[in-house]
Amino acid sequence: MEATPGTCSVKISPGAVVCVEAEIRGDVTIGARTVVHPRACIIAESGPIVIGESNLIEEQVLIINKKPDNGPADSKPETLTIGSNNVFEVGCRCESLKIGDHNVVEAKAAVGRDTELTRGCVIGAFCEVTGHEALADNTIIYGDQYDQRRQYEKPPDQTLQLDFLMKILPNYHRLKKSTKTGDR
Amino acid sequence: MELPDRFYMKAEFIETASGNKVSKKSVLCGSQNIVLNGKSIICNDCIVRGDLANVRIGRYCVIGARSVIRPPFKKFSKGVAFFPLHIGDHVFIDEECIINAAQIGSYVHIGKNCVIGRRCVLKECCAIGDNVYLPPETVVPPFTVITGNPGKPTGELPECTQDLMVDATKGFYQHFLPVQEVK
Repeated sequence: MEATPGTCSVKISPGAVVCVEAEIRGDVTIGARTVVHPRACIIAESGPIVIGESNLIEEQVLIINKKPDNGPADSKPETLTIGSNNVFEVGCRCESLKIGDHNVVEAKAAVGRDTELTRGCVIGAFCEVTGHEALADNTIIYGDQYDQRRQYEKPPDQTLQLDFLMKILPNYHRLKKSTKTGDR
Repeated sequence: MELPDRFYMKAEFIETASGNKVSKKSVLCGSQNIVLNGKSIICNDCIVRGDLANVRIGRYCVIGARSVIRPPFKKFSKGVAFFPLHIGDHVFIDEECIINAAQIGSYVHIGKNCVIGRRCVLKECCAIGDNVYLPPETVVPPFTVITGNPGKPTGELPECTQDLMVDATKGFYQHFLPVQEVK
């Protein structure tokens, strides 16, 4: 199913905070307690995007479900799935089809379509991960040489920040209304 | 050195009584919390997040295209807070930067495509090169040049940095000229 422009099939669960200035196109589902800042871009071009609960998506973030340039033209649409408690910092770009829970993609980092983030991964600022691989739990990639190591614990939850943002964002921004699931 | 004139469409910018020039294509969230002290320029597609905390920007500052100014976040044992962000006078921030600093002193130059991490403190008269990632809570001392990812001090600035930055930012402001749209 190619998402045609103009069709509004964005599903926002009750409790999510999505600013009107965020650009959301195509078949996108946003879970409860997820905060989407203004000027974030979520574009479901070649398949649906499903975002779980308690994610933080900051401004200038680009989450895009796009066909690879050299892939077969008539390939089946695949779903881009994002788990829960992930943080996408300012200006990062994410094409990965599978993102687990508790991951952090830092500012100006990029994650390619074939890379899978499992749990607790941190992609440092400016790092680009595009290989065909699944990063193991709690992997950290950092620095200009893309050094890699494991940490013992997953990064801490941003629950408090999310609570705070949910309190203050409605004071300054108009929000997209939540829709009931199954209701288009 | 005299800077070349840079032109902008008059219709694209708003000029305030105190001489600030703010692009209409920029996003100023929570504008009641943003203070521009005069003669500052905010270019196209900038994002200034006054909704998170107060942002105060001094005189003769330049914020390049597509930069993001966003007050930093800190978690305490009890609750959370966004810190107010103060930027001094004569600060030049180039294109595509992300500024999460707590404080930026006066006469600071920040190069293209930089990420300044959460709660960094940039003291007066320091310079950040291009494509630098400054990790969270870094303090940059005066007259230091920072380059690389992660950013490390690699040089020193001369004592006249203050005058150089005053000249550069005033020159930029004076050469940032409006043109009427020709149809």
